[in-house]
Amino acid sequence: MSLSDLPDVQLEQAQKPALIVGVGAAVLLVAMAFVGADRDQFFRSYLYGYVFWLAFPLGSLALLMLHHLTGGGWGFVIRRLCEAGARTFALMAVLFLPLAVGISRLYPWTRAGWAEEAAKHAPFKATYLSQPFFFTRAVIYFVVWIGLGYLLSKWSMEEDQTGDPGMHNRMEALSAPGLILYGLTATFAVIDWVMSVDPDWMSTMYGLIFVVVHVFTAMAFLIFMASRFADHEPLAKVATPSRFHDLGTLLFAFTMLWAYLAFSQFLIIWAGNLKAEITWYVHRGLGEWSWVAGLLLLFHFFVPFFILLNRPIKRRKQLMAKVALVLIVVSALDVFWIITPSFFPAPTIHLSDVLAVAAIGGLWLWAFAKQAQGRPLVPLHDPRMEEAVEHGA
Amino acid sequence: MSAEHSAPIIEPGQTFATVTDRISAIVLTQKTGRGWWLGFGIAFSLLMLFNLAITWLFAWGVGIWGINVPVGWGFAIINFVWWVGIGHAGTLISAILLLLRQKWRTSINRFAEAMTIFAVACAGTFPLLHMGRPWLFYWLTPYPNTMFTWPQFRSPLVWDVFAVSTYATVSLLFWFVGMIPDLATLRDRARNLIGQKFYGFLAMGWRGSAVHWHRYETASLLLAGLATPLVLSVHTVVSFDFAIGIIPGWHTTIFPPYFVAGAIYSGFAMVMTLAIPLRKYYRLEDFVTMRHLDNMAKVMLATGLIVAYGYMMETFSAFYSGDLYERFMVLNRWTGPYWPFYWSLIACNIAIPQVLWSRKARSNVTLLFVISLVVNTGMWLERFIIVVTSLHRDFLPSSWGMYWPTRWHIYTYVGTLGLFFTLFFLFIRFLPVIAISEMRGLVKEEAGGGK
Amino acid sequence: MSRPKLYGLMAEFDSPDALLAAAHKATAAGYRRMDAYSPMPIEELAEAVGFHHTSLPLVVLCGGILGGITGFGMQYYGSVFTFSQNVAGKPLNSWPAFIPITFELTVLFAALTCVFGMLAMNGLPTPYHPVFNVPNFALASRDKFFLCIKARDPKFDARATREFLQGLGPIEVSNVEA
Repeated sequence: MSLSDLPDVQLEQAQKPALIVGVGAAVLLVAMAFVGADRDQFFRSYLYGYVFWLAFPLGSLALLMLHHLTGGGWGFVIRRLCEAGARTFALMAVLFLPLAVGISRLYPWTRAGWAEEAAKHAPFKATYLSQPFFFTRAVIYFVVWIGLGYLLSKWSMEEDQTGDPGMHNRMEALSAPGLILYGLTATFAVIDWVMSVDPDWMSTMYGLIFVVVHVFTAMAFLIFMASRFADHEPLAKVATPSRFHDLGTLLFAFTMLWAYLAFSQFLIIWAGNLKAEITWYVHRGLGEWSWVAGLLLLFHFFVPFFILLNRPIKRRKQLMAKVALVLIVVSALDVFWIITPSFFPAPTIHLSDVLAVAAIGGLWLWAFAKQAQGRPLVPLHDPRMEEAVEHGA
Repeated sequence: MSAEHSAPIIEPGQTFATVTDRISAIVLTQKTGRGWWLGFGIAFSLLMLFNLAITWLFAWGVGIWGINVPVGWGFAIINFVWWVGIGHAGTLISAILLLLRQKWRTSINRFAEAMTIFAVACAGTFPLLHMGRPWLFYWLTPYPNTMFTWPQFRSPLVWDVFAVSTYATVSLLFWFVGMIPDLATLRDRARNLIGQKFYGFLAMGWRGSAVHWHRYETASLLLAGLATPLVLSVHTVVSFDFAIGIIPGWHTTIFPPYFVAGAIYSGFAMVMTLAIPLRKYYRLEDFVTMRHLDNMAKVMLATGLIVAYGYMMETFSAFYSGDLYERFMVLNRWTGPYWPFYWSLIACNIAIPQVLWSRKARSNVTLLFVISLVVNTGMWLERFIIVVTSLHRDFLPSSWGMYWPTRWHIYTYVGTLGLFFTLFFLFIRFLPVIAISEMRGLVKEEAGGGK
Repeated sequence: MSRPKLYGLMAEFDSPDALLAAAHKATAAGYRRMDAYSPMPIEELAEAVGFHHTSLPLVVLCGGILGGITGFGMQYYGSVFTFSQNVAGKPLNSWPAFIPITFELTVLFAALTCVFGMLAMNGLPTPYHPVFNVPNFALASRDKFFLCIKARDPKFDARATREFLQGLGPIEVSNVEA
């Protein structure tokens, strides 16, 4: 094992290409918007790329708090990576700005006259979907996310330095209300940013489906990252095959949960067959997009179900890394299938969709790689570490 | 975890022998206490009341329950959902916590599973009785018949038949399989012939062979893996009973996860309601420790918050969608004729349980017992609100009506409490209330120091 | 075939570790047909007495798949072919509505296969078994641990095996009468 294999070195080396891809794609994306003059498409693609990549930091934050509360040994394998992910919200806040610029192109409720019309039959919606309130909420979401990520990272670092067991209690104490805040902000953020693209449509399950998208995508990403560094001390101490087995089982659970929520929502709306609701699925499940839905059924449920049912696969980190990569792509397809049919009744993919994913992804990965450096990959003084190491062996 | 978590899940000083003797003594040698007879007597009287109520029901029909258009689903469905929900914690404790390798489940899983089975038995009686002609229940099942008819597979009520009967079967199997080694213990330790024959028959010749244990453990894990999605599916199907229809207050997509969370919530409350007196009366404090109560309180807090999320989304969607009927449904719950029920529900399910945030509250056994009763009540009220307030204001104001249960309806409900507790008292008298073999495993681990 | 009068020799231990060590030593000494008895499952003990793999999970998977096919097939057959009714304008093959029962039957078949498969592979119920002839064996379900080397073992020799077992430091070694 040479020095260049060290996690920090690897992460540092990854920064530059990520930044190049991110900035390059961003430049192309903006150029396309100006040259092709299809500004609407720019914002549609950007919304997709942004919502997809937002799953990474949000899912990391949620898993981090879940770990603080339940304390399973699996959490120590990914905790530092989660913390790195949770420190990227400032970047996500900056990357939100293009959306703020483009809301009048994305959301029908910004059109003149929409609010007056809506006020007649749905006064609450007319207030809720107004620009000042929309931006106020966005600010609240980012304050909550940045705040939670900052505090949990800071205390974790102090725990490393001082070994003060009080830090652990603090993180645990913050994580319970933190998860509640996460649930609320994640729900309303996707209602605001994604669901309101179709302002006439509403599903009460929507927020939970995105919560699962967050934890599923982030878990796949974290498994991939952890598998790369698992041979290095101190991570090697906790990143044993049985820990990868636990992480794989969680990924399996999230897959099942995704299928459960997605199917339940579909079945209820399909059976009710009300005009206001079924239109959403007429596009996505029964119309021309249905083959994408079929792909999701196959690759977001059946394939991972049978793969992750296998204990030997879950215990092998190299294999799990490959499975995780595929599932990240599948999750990107899932988010695409949720967002894009609102704009196009038939399956359409633009070059700018790909560029948006590359641009935001490159920038986010750059920030992540930067944040993940410079700290040991496992917490040094967590009171539960010893137990986790013993049981993981 | 922090200081409170270091509380042991089994008090020190227990050995293989003491664990075995202590738990099997409750069944084999300990005198049947006066408290047991008193409790059993009360429960049995209520069971007799149940018999009376259903006899009267068979004689006169479901009209005696006070149900009529528009509220055709009265107490029967409320209690069905309430009982099924209670059952879920048993499966959760025995299956999900086994998969998560949470060792604290060991001492409470046995009676939590028993609770599941008895609760499902109580639940099952309600739809049967509500059918009006329960002797024709087999029409719900696909069987070859001269009319060449089939059940209506698009109906959630038919799904329910499959879900609940599968759930009852799998829970019973899980419970029984878990008990086989303990039945062998009782067989080997029983002093009279009847006991030896009875437990010997049930133990099926279990002899603790290493090879058997290996397959047995594999089977337990597989069953746990099957029971986990099953338990979610059962209450999901129950939620479909409502959500598949287009009644405002029923037709909303959050119903499946929110019903499942509510079920676990009420189930843990019931486990607590049963565990606290049980550990005190039979002095099982060494096995069902404060750590257990603390953990259960936390699970209640978490699931209660998910339930609150469900209420919030329902209300939000009513106003956001702007649908006239949805909005009216919410306002009617807040200020309509059933408003005291609604606000009591909010108090019982959401406001009062927030006390559990306090560590001090979680270590006060009496308070925990009271809160568990409050949550049981709250979850019953939730089903009342869902069933009654959604139905009694029909789309057409000319069809509006009110529903109040009659005394026969109340007798039936109280009667199932009798059925439940009769079965439960018989269980604690004749079967091991704590999984002895698993407790031995726990002793081994404590002694071995993580070996 | 004449049945051996002796089923085997049984050594009694008082801790799980002692039993595990004894099982390892017996395997090392060349014994192949033996079984260990304990009041609770002991990790690695099954491997130590020469049992490595159970096909139960595979059997259960097959049971589950069969259940799923049965569940969907039944509903499809009933709703599409024999009793085709228009209900609420829904198609005859209302596959979304068939999923819940398909799922329930998958679980039901898998669970039944699991329990009855486990019992069948273990040969339970067993109304009579020689090991119960050892008086102290009742403690195998309380706090004692037993290792039984069967007379069928090619290396079994009443005297040599007894000496071998005595050498493992048991509480007692007894004959198991068939």
